[in-house]
Amino acid sequence: MAQQTTTPATATRMPAGDARAAPRPARRRRGDRVAWLFVAPLALIFAGFYLWPAVQTILSSFFEWSLLAPFDPLDTSTWYPVGTDNYTAALSSDSFWNAAFNSLVWLIVFPVLVTGSALLVSVLIWHLGRFAPVFRTVFILPMTISLAAAGVIWSFVYNSDPDVGLLNAVLRVLRLDIAFDLGPLHVRTGEWLADIGSLDLGFAQLRLVNLALILPAVWAFAGFGVVTFTAGLSSLPGELVDSARIDGCRAGQVVRHVLIPHLRKPLIITYVVSVIFALRTFDIVYVMTEGGPAQDTTVLALLLWQQAFAFLTEPRAGVGAAIAVLMAVVMVFLAYPYLRSLMGGGSGDEAR
Amino acid sequence: MRRGKGSAILLYGSVTALCLLWLVPVATAVMIAAVPIGQTRNGWWHAGFGDLTFDNLVEAWREALSGYAVNSFVIAVGSVVLTVIAGALASYAFARLRFAGKRVLYLLLISTMIVPVQIILIPLLPWLRTLGLSTGDLQFVGIILVHTAFGAGWAIFMMASFFADVPEELLEAARIDGARHGDILRRIVLPLALPGIASFAIIDFVFVWNDLLLGLSLLDREHQPLTVGLANLQSPHLAQENLVAAGSIIAVLPPLVLFAVLNRYYVRGLFAGGVKG
Repeated sequence: MAQQTTTPATATRMPAGDARAAPRPARRRRGDRVAWLFVAPLALIFAGFYLWPAVQTILSSFFEWSLLAPFDPLDTSTWYPVGTDNYTAALSSDSFWNAAFNSLVWLIVFPVLVTGSALLVSVLIWHLGRFAPVFRTVFILPMTISLAAAGVIWSFVYNSDPDVGLLNAVLRVLRLDIAFDLGPLHVRTGEWLADIGSLDLGFAQLRLVNLALILPAVWAFAGFGVVTFTAGLSSLPGELVDSARIDGCRAGQVVRHVLIPHLRKPLIITYVVSVIFALRTFDIVYVMTEGGPAQDTTVLALLLWQQAFAFLTEPRAGVGAAIAVLMAVVMVFLAYPYLRSLMGGGSGDEAR
Repeated sequence: MRRGKGSAILLYGSVTALCLLWLVPVATAVMIAAVPIGQTRNGWWHAGFGDLTFDNLVEAWREALSGYAVNSFVIAVGSVVLTVIAGALASYAFARLRFAGKRVLYLLLISTMIVPVQIILIPLLPWLRTLGLSTGDLQFVGIILVHTAFGAGWAIFMMASFFADVPEELLEAARIDGARHGDILRRIVLPLALPGIASFAIIDFVFVWNDLLLGLSLLDREHQPLTVGLANLQSPHLAQENLVAAGSIIAVLPPLVLFAVLNRYYVRGLFAGGVKG
C-alpha cells in the first residue's frame, strides 16, 4: 500500500521516452510512426465510440430530432435546426430545475457523507492494528456491488410494510413512529421511498426522500474513500501521533492538527471523485423510484435519459442532448483543477 | 500507542457495531433470498434454520436471469479483453515513447474520467444503427466497443503509470541488444507490470459488469445484461421479493468472487485513484 507512485498526480510522470527518437527530425518522424502504431487501436476505438458520439451530442443539441427520426450530421435531410431552442426549452422548464435541484442535493450531500463516513471509519480502523484488514474489508465489499443491485437490496430495508422492511420493523419495536413539523422542516417516517417529509428552503422544497436514495449510494461508494484514506494513513508515522499525545493533545486535537493535514490529498481525491460520481447518478434512482413519486427524485441524468429514450415518438432527443452538454460543462468547470492535477504538473506531489 | 483498556473496548465495540450496521443490507438480501416468500411477509428475522431453501435462487436463475447472466459475461469479458490489449499497447507508447499529439490525446482520454457518460449516450443508438451494430449478436460488438472507448482513459491512466515504473535501465539494455519495441513490451514491460494490469482488468470487469445505463439504452431485450434483468424483476406490482433478492445475489456474486480471490489487486487498483465508480 505504500506505493505512492500510483496516486493520480504521479501517473503522468512519464519518462522522457525513447532516447533514439529525439535527436534528428527524420528519426523523430519515424519514432512518431512507431508510437502511433501502438496507440492506433485504442485511439481509433476512442475516436469512433467516444469522441465522435460526443461531437454528435453537441451538434445535435441544436437540432430537433428523436431516436425514431435521428439526427445525422452527415445527412442534411435529417437536419431540423432550431438554434438554441433546446437549451431555452430545457432551461425554462420546471422539470429541468426540479431535476437540477435534486442533482444539487446529490452534489452537496453525497460527497460530504462519503468523505465523512470514510474518514471516520478509516481512522477508527487504523487504530485497530492487527485486525484492521478484516474490518476494512467489510467497508470495501459493497464497492463490488452494482448500484442497481445496491438499490434493489436497500429497497428491502426500506420496505414500508413493517413485516417486510427491517427499518420500519425496528422503528415499530422502538415505538418510534416519527412525525413532526419543526418550522420549515416536516418529517414523517414509514414511506421511505415515497414521502418522508420535506425541508422548505424558500426557493425550493428539499424532498427528504432524496436523502433515502443517497444513503445506499454512500453505502456502496464509501469503500473508495476507505481505501484512499488507508493509503494516506499508512504513510503516517505512529510516533507523530504518540508525541502529540505525550504533549497533551486530546483525540480531537490529534485529528485536527495531525491527521487532517496529513490526509489533505486523499481528502481531495475522495471528495472530487464523489462529486463526479454524484452528477452521474442514474442507476440507484432508476431502480428504486424511477424518479418518482411524481418527479420528486428525478435527477438530471434520469431526466436526460427520459427525454431521449422514454418519449421515443416525441422529438425530445435534442433537449436531452442539450441537458447532456450542460451537465458536461458544469462538471468540467467543477473538476477543472482536478483535471489539471491529473494532467501532471505533479509538483504538489513531491512535497510530501 | 498507550491506551486504557476501557477505550480499547470502546474502540473495538464501535467498529464492530459499524461493521454490523454496514452488513445489514446484505444480510437482508441474503435472508430474503434464502427463505420462502411467506416467511418474508412475516418478517425474515423470525426465520429459523429449517426455513432455509435454495428454491428462490434456482427459480430466479431458471425463470428469469440465466440468459441475462450469459449476456453479462460476454459483454464484460469481451470489453475487458479488448480494453486490456488495446490499452496495454497504447500505454506502452504513452509511458515510454514520445510522439506528436501525445499531450492532446492524453488530455482527451483523461477527461472521460470527469465528463459524465451522458455526453455520448443519446447519439450512440443511431450511430450503432448506421454502423450495422444494432441487431442480433452484433449488438455485443457495439456495446463492447463503447465500453472500451469509455474505459480507454481509465486504462491509460492506470496502466501507463504502472508501465512507467519499469526501470529504464532494463529497457536500455534490451535496446542495446537490438530488441524491437514489440519485444520490449512483451518480454520486459508486460511481465513486470503484470500486477498492475491485473488490477486494471479486475476493476474494469467489475465496472462493465455493473453497468446499467449503457445496457439498458443500447441493447434489445435478448442481449441486455444482468443489471437490466434485475431492474426488470424489481417491479413494485409483482409481489416476488424472494426472486428479486435471489436475483440480486446472483448479480453480485461474480464480482464478489473476483474480489475475494484477488482482493490485493482490486484494492491496489482502486488505490490508483479512480474516477469510474
